[in-house]
Amino acid sequence: MKTATRSHSEADFYRQDIPKMLRPSRPAPLATLLWALGILTCGTLLGIASAYLVIERDRPLQTVRIGAWEMDPTAGTEEADPYSIAIHSRGASVPLASGEGQALIARTDSSGRLLDPSCTYILSGETPAARLWTLTSTDRRGRLAETIAGRTHLSSRALLRRQDGSFEITASPRPASGNWLPLASRPQDMDGLMFKLRLYDAPVTTGAALSNAAMPVISRRSCP
Amino acid sequence: MTLSTRMSLALGLLAVLMLAAIVHILVIFSIPGSVTHTAFSDAAAFGPDSRFNVLPDILPGREPLPDLDPAMSHAVCRFHLDEGPVRFTATIPAPFWSMGLFDASGQTIYSLNNRTAGSDTLSLLLLSPSQLSILRQNPPEDLDDLIVIETEQTEGLALLRAYLSHPVQKSELRSALNSAQCAQMDPRNQTGN
Repeated sequence: MKTATRSHSEADFYRQDIPKMLRPSRPAPLATLLWALGILTCGTLLGIASAYLVIERDRPLQTVRIGAWEMDPTAGTEEADPYSIAIHSRGASVPLASGEGQALIARTDSSGRLLDPSCTYILSGETPAARLWTLTSTDRRGRLAETIAGRTHLSSRALLRRQDGSFEITASPRPASGNWLPLASRPQDMDGLMFKLRLYDAPVTTGAALSNAAMPVISRRSCP
Repeated sequence: MTLSTRMSLALGLLAVLMLAAIVHILVIFSIPGSVTHTAFSDAAAFGPDSRFNVLPDILPGREPLPDLDPAMSHAVCRFHLDEGPVRFTATIPAPFWSMGLFDASGQTIYSLNNRTAGSDTLSLLLLSPSQLSILRQNPPEDLDDLIVIETEQTEGLALLRAYLSHPVQKSELRSALNSAQCAQMDPRNQTGN
């Protein structure tokens, strides 16, 4: 007569022939608690840090890029993405509404290098049709800086153009001939560089119409 | 059930990532409601409500509000719709001017510029849906010249931007901005002015 080998779950704790997956686990409350706490801390920290980074980088989701220039055509409207809303309300800034115009910003030159406030840049070409536009130099957070000339902007109304309507602007801390956009007189104190082009009363303010528009090319001429 | 070390690490990582995603979304959505100062609250520093207050020049380090164009002259008005419709009138001697109406959270209600306004003078009436039904029964005489905008918001900010083409015109432009109106209309007596 054979003895039936029956499995006893209480006694089968250390049976090696059962796959590991099916073996009952011994309770380890401390390890479980530590594990859960670790997950909770890491997850919360990662979530807050990623949200902070996205807001600090100041880049909404639905940006349209034209060369080095980017814009957020839905800023301040009901279609604005949550990042755009969060960025604008945190900065307490009033966006340029679609009936007023469209703002474009450049943080890099046309070859993709980050703009440097101590360098000299040439902006050449043309802009999309607009009744008026202004070009402003700011730091990477949009703040103005003192310049030698006392102004930080250039306007389409006071611009020297070539016969075909295209233009060339020299952006430099030192005076330049032709169209000069003054940069900060003390570039070492400046936190990055950003160009902001505001097109006022532009007939094309939707992203699709602007994405194949001609925008000025930004090229780096010299750096000290 | 016992998980292998690799399996429990993978599950833990997944839990961390999902929790991070939830926290990230919560933080992003909570920012607009939790900011301590908005453009609407900051604009109170420039003068009384329900009138256009001309902002000081936009100079480095002394920008009245962030992200304004230094080529422009600005005036802001905080309006409240709960005591009646608000009428905006302005005559601005500038080649370009525009006005944006924003709610207290910074969302655009309406915007226009001097070309889309159709004439050199701005004349716009902002009202709530209930005030619009009163207006329909008792329309003002100059309704044809008015741009009428309906909004659910009860308060907000109007920002008038005017292009300063030459420094000589600065005082003229500032006085035009200063005399721009952003006054409350009596809802029961819209014809009487």
